[in-house]
Amino acid sequence: MSTPNSSSDPRRPGKVHRYTRPSVGGLVDDPTAEYMNLFGMIFSMCGLMLKLKWCAWAAVYCAFISFANARSSDDTKQMLSSFMLSVSAVFMSYLQNPQPMMLPW
Amino acid sequence: MKNAILWLSLCYVCLMVCRTKSANPHNAEIEDNDFAEFEDFEDDEHADTAQTDKAAPSPKPDHPKIVMAPEADIDPDQADDEDEDDDGLVEIEGDEFDHFQDDEEFEGFDREKSSKVKGQEKPPDLKITPVPAYLQNNWESFYLEMLMLAGLAVYFINFLAGKSKNNTLSTAWFNVHRSLLDEHFAFVGDDGTSQEMQSGVLVKESENIYTLWCSGRVCCEGMLVTLKLLKRQDLVSTLARMFRPASDQVIIKVMLESAEIDTFVMCLANKKVIGKLQKEMVDLNYFCPEKRKLDDRIPPTFQLLSEISEASTAVIDTKVITALNQFENLIEYIHISDQYCGPRIQDEAQPSKMPETTKIMMFCFNVPGKGQCSPKDMEAMKPLMMMVFHCLEKVRKIRLSREAKTKADKNRQRLAESYSKASHVQRSEAAQERREKKRRAEKERMMAEDDPDRQRKLEEKTLKKEQKKKQPKVKMMKIKAM
Repeated sequence: MSTPNSSSDPRRPGKVHRYTRPSVGGLVDDPTAEYMNLFGMIFSMCGLMLKLKWCAWAAVYCAFISFANARSSDDTKQMLSSFMLSVSAVFMSYLQNPQPMMLPW
Repeated sequence: MKNAILWLSLCYVCLMVCRTKSANPHNAEIEDNDFAEFEDFEDDEHADTAQTDKAAPSPKPDHPKIVMAPEADIDPDQADDEDEDDDGLVEIEGDEFDHFQDDEEFEGFDREKSSKVKGQEKPPDLKITPVPAYLQNNWESFYLEMLMLAGLAVYFINFLAGKSKNNTLSTAWFNVHRSLLDEHFAFVGDDGTSQEMQSGVLVKESENIYTLWCSGRVCCEGMLVTLKLLKRQDLVSTLARMFRPASDQVIIKVMLESAEIDTFVMCLANKKVIGKLQKEMVDLNYFCPEKRKLDDRIPPTFQLLSEISEASTAVIDTKVITALNQFENLIEYIHISDQYCGPRIQDEAQPSKMPETTKIMMFCFNVPGKGQCSPKDMEAMKPLMMMVFHCLEKVRKIRLSREAKTKADKNRQRLAESYSKASHVQRSEAAQERREKKRRAEKERMMAEDDPDRQRKLEEKTLKKEQKKKQPKVKMMKIKAM
């Protein structure tokens, strides 16, 4: 494959177009972050209301996974709020019942 | 003399009886005082309580039977006399003190309670509750919590390491290809947000996706390079990759100018992904229903979908075949289309409106290493970028024959008609529904009308309308008088 020589320079400075981001609506390629965000909130609520320690810990994990898979264009406030909610669920469940977590068997 | 002795003996016996009566049958301490005679009652009370105690170990002593012992001092003569005096035996029974056993004689005395109290004297059972786990100074009981925290720490460490690795790989790719891109484009690397255009910006879409926009070249509006790296920052994905290995990918999307490409759709892809592409991509699904036969020189791992065979033959020339053989594992697919509109939206059953199409060339390359790549592996991808520019120049020069052009145009027209039919059907269905609703509303209004005259008038009105609709439409034409 031959590289273009100087006489046939393909560059055209007058034809420069600015980059336009594709509209983030409709389908998302990878919905992992959204699903994990949702699960995190559900687990946090279960941990707070039903006083289940394992739910609270699962919420923390979901928040971490959501953060790791999030895009730069995603709202950081929402991620931060779900993370704080999960941490508060862990704290509240241990404040109400300081016993260590037990395995079900 | 005998009588005197008899009287003396009788007196003596009486004295003895009195003495025994006044004596302490229960061995109580008797004080020799004025109140000695009252001490009998105290002794008798104790006797009552002793009698009421059922659990008393010692048997209740009955009132003693007092039998006079024979007098030792008495003369034998008197003894003979005493034999005659056996009738003088005094037997004292316990009946005289029964009133001490009577409950009614005493006030405020609970016999049952006292017996109960005496009955509950066995030692109580002590239940020793174990000390709760959280009050123990024993951190070992929190082993699950330690495990959770350890898991989070591992995840976080993996996140930092994965993020750093991806950043290194993307930067390495950019550094390797920068010079080549600068030769072909006037402007390399624009983030699209800043007011002044800044070159050399590799946009970070997420921790594993990086994009690079290049523009300012003949025959194309621009080129978007997407580095779709593996999710090394996510521990769950890393563990999943142990079971299903995957590669980092570089997706190059060249936006062609309208006049630069003729009308054809083709896709040369690895047989593992060609089926999925044909299902998902709208243009491939419609224009390339069947797979075409490939040149024998091309490795059998590749398959071809093509609308116009002469166009695909023109694109896949000797140099491309050489590259296909050399980089067989690295080339995922090459998709060239003038009707590209992206993947099919699963939710929509039948889209009524024809989607907007663009003319594009898409190349998907796998980074060598199968997930275990290093920055040095980016050097091996430079020839693939050169192949992209070669294909671009080739596509720009392709001109279809008349038959091929007619065939392509017919296909596009058929597609446009199908969309317009679908939209027409939808519109007519919507209109029919609206008419039905209106008719139903009118009927309901008629039924709800109380006045029979008004009801009749409404009925006549609706009948007239229906008759008018049934009549054929006649066009009135005006003829000008000469």
